[in-house]
Amino acid sequence: MQTNLKVIGDTKKSFVTGNEAVTWAALAAGAEMMFGYPITPQNEVMHYWTRLAPKYGRGFLQTEDEISAGFTVCGAVQAGTKAFTATAGPGNVLMQEPFGMAEAMRLPLFAVIQQRGGPSSGTVIYSQQEVTLTTYGGNGEGHRIVYSTATHQEIYDYTIKGFNVAWKYRFPTFLLGDGYQAKMREPLEMYDPQERGIEIVPTYPLIGLDGHIGENREPQHLCNIYSLEEELYEVVMRFAEEYESISPELVEYREEQCDDADIIILSHGVVSRAADDAVKALRAQGIKAGSFRPITLRPFPQAQLREAIAKSGAKKILIAESAYGQLDRLTKQEIYGETIKIENLFKPGVGIIDYDIVSKVKSIL
Amino acid sequence: MITPAVPKSWYLPSKPHKFCPGCGHGIVLKALGETIDELEIQDNTIFGCDIGCSLLSWDFFACDSTQTHHGRTTPVMVGIKRARPELITIGYMGDGGGYSIGSQHLLNAAVRNEKVTLILVNNTNYGMTGGQMAPTTLPGQKTETTPYGRDPELTGYPTRGPEFLAELTPDSAYIARATVSKYKQLKRFLRNALRNQIEGNGFSFVEVLSTCPTNWRTNAQQTWRFLEDEMEPYFPVGELKSPFGKGGDK
Amino acid sequence: MFIYAITERVVEAYVGEYASGKSEMAINRALELSAQGRRVTLVDLDTVEPFYTLRPLKEFLEGLGLNLISFSSGDAFGLGETGAMLNPRARWSLYNEGDIILDIGYGVHGAQALNLVEGASESKELQIIAVINSTRPMTNSPERIVEYLQELGRVDAIVANTHLGDETTFEIIMEGNEDIIAVAKQLNIPVAYIAVEERLAAQAAESNKDIPIKSIKRYMPSAMW
Repeated sequence: MQTNLKVIGDTKKSFVTGNEAVTWAALAAGAEMMFGYPITPQNEVMHYWTRLAPKYGRGFLQTEDEISAGFTVCGAVQAGTKAFTATAGPGNVLMQEPFGMAEAMRLPLFAVIQQRGGPSSGTVIYSQQEVTLTTYGGNGEGHRIVYSTATHQEIYDYTIKGFNVAWKYRFPTFLLGDGYQAKMREPLEMYDPQERGIEIVPTYPLIGLDGHIGENREPQHLCNIYSLEEELYEVVMRFAEEYESISPELVEYREEQCDDADIIILSHGVVSRAADDAVKALRAQGIKAGSFRPITLRPFPQAQLREAIAKSGAKKILIAESAYGQLDRLTKQEIYGETIKIENLFKPGVGIIDYDIVSKVKSIL
Repeated sequence: MITPAVPKSWYLPSKPHKFCPGCGHGIVLKALGETIDELEIQDNTIFGCDIGCSLLSWDFFACDSTQTHHGRTTPVMVGIKRARPELITIGYMGDGGGYSIGSQHLLNAAVRNEKVTLILVNNTNYGMTGGQMAPTTLPGQKTETTPYGRDPELTGYPTRGPEFLAELTPDSAYIARATVSKYKQLKRFLRNALRNQIEGNGFSFVEVLSTCPTNWRTNAQQTWRFLEDEMEPYFPVGELKSPFGKGGDK
Repeated sequence: MFIYAITERVVEAYVGEYASGKSEMAINRALELSAQGRRVTLVDLDTVEPFYTLRPLKEFLEGLGLNLISFSSGDAFGLGETGAMLNPRARWSLYNEGDIILDIGYGVHGAQALNLVEGASESKELQIIAVINSTRPMTNSPERIVEYLQELGRVDAIVANTHLGDETTFEIIMEGNEDIIAVAKQLNIPVAYIAVEERLAAQAAESNKDIPIKSIKRYMPSAMW
């Protein structure tokens, strides 16, 4: 497939929605195939992909359901094709089965999740309620890489990075957005990664290799099931070790004014924008607030968060999320042993603005 | 010493294979191996297997192979074929994987006329999980989940897969039902199903009636009798749809 | 600019690429006419987007005196997954008295969405106005604008609505609209006006005397959250 075409050409700022940012970034990253099934709020990823893909020699298949979308991606990446999907909510639930297979077979699967309200059909609009599902869904150990974005620029940058990371490390990789980010319109600088010196990690087939079997190569036998407990144990332990060894180079986070903070506001994704604004507002009122934001939810920047707690001497952390404690649980398991008091602002399925955070901080300090 | 003739495309380190004595899988896989050899497609064939007894074929061939989840072999093969149309994709599954848990994939792959070849082995029960009722279990047939015999009033009638797939597919599809009791015909149908993919015509599907003495609790004679006298009348053998026409497949 | 006799009613349909500013232009136009003491009905014909439409602004706009044909949040219950739904009142909206401003949602069918409105194809009053923002990737070069307009179907006039949200500058507006104006000339479609947000409108009017500058307010960002 022809994928070396420059997609973006001249870098200039564009006014786009988050879903469009995904599509353009996937094109620019050289994605060759998308498999998808309609679900709001990710539909425009498919709409724009299907409009643009033929112009750049890329492929698309609308599958019969999300299970199939996930498994067709699993098949395509095994064949050495840069493929991806996008989904949300109940679709993310169905895709946990193929995502699990990608974990087990170490397939370079990349998926975009635009969180919607839950449980069940919930709302089509927005939430941060797919954190647990995306990080630890499936019947495995959560050997996945999950980027939680906050801006369209990040959606663009981390979509490109997500493909690269998936193909470099071969752990399934996710871009975790949400319905607000999907539909919001924002200026964004699109670029061809090569122009920025970003190397595109090459793809390669796991099956369908060149050569003649029995003459100059062996047949490939890929599997995800084992006869004995010990066989599986060895595989999972090897994955765990590998995952842990690459985690330090994968971990990403942002912190704002934590050095002298009395309170650290911990949030991820689009809520971190409100947290940063809240820090400014609180500082203007003489309250020493800082914010800490994991960009990678898996692996989690636990050492960095512990360090922020230690250096600031903060007395409290406020965890703000549009879910009822999913980031909270994730954080607590990651910083087990810290004695700092943890407060929360949980608004499941509802947006959080700076005012909400400022009010909450004032009520607990 | 007599060396048994085995297809070149068989993977010898995994032999002898793990299927039960009297199981029909070995016959299907031998016919498939010989067909792969005759068509000279070993190097660019991707063999994908489902969960269930079909799983035991995961390292059966000296072809690039991938094992999937229960019912999901169809979409994995579709993904591979869409990504690399030059590869020959063979999905191998049982009646539970194809007609029950993976039925939506099978049906939609057929409707889209996906250029993959799917082989579904029908032995009227879930073998690997211990002999439960399958979509193909015959009326009155005892299984672990129909201890008093399958009652169509409660659980419906057996699925006739090729019949419904023939309704869903265009003329460029190949749809057939074979049986392990007619080896030459089985090979001919498998050959046509692969040829149809190689020529880029469309969807190809062969259901193969097979035997499961272990779960049927039958001796050799009873096994063969069940296949020929019980199954074959209910599941008529033959080509339901062929772009090659009558006699055009020789 | 279109000039209408006081007795003649205004019937305008705003079409265009996703996120091109259709709703914004429709709201501004409706409020402009309303401020002249005219009776104005604003019709939400966005059948695709379940929530990023006029709906969240319904009460606000009604408070400003517009007659709004749009689902309310309450009506939207259960719309969820499909989102694509046509309000029966929108189908018959041309039968309302007074000016009618139609906000047409995006989609591959372009201006064909007007087939959903009774009487639209025979209407002699109807003007179909394409809103174009040249910072939108699908319309960010003359070639793409031409391609886009040709896909759209019938277009009677163009609104040049180049902007970059909060990062809009005078230069972005003026340079970005050059392509749009050139294409309009090439395709022989009049440019109704250049839309410029309030803070930059005077500066824009100063520098461009050929095409009317319309000062607009951006209401849609508040429709989000």
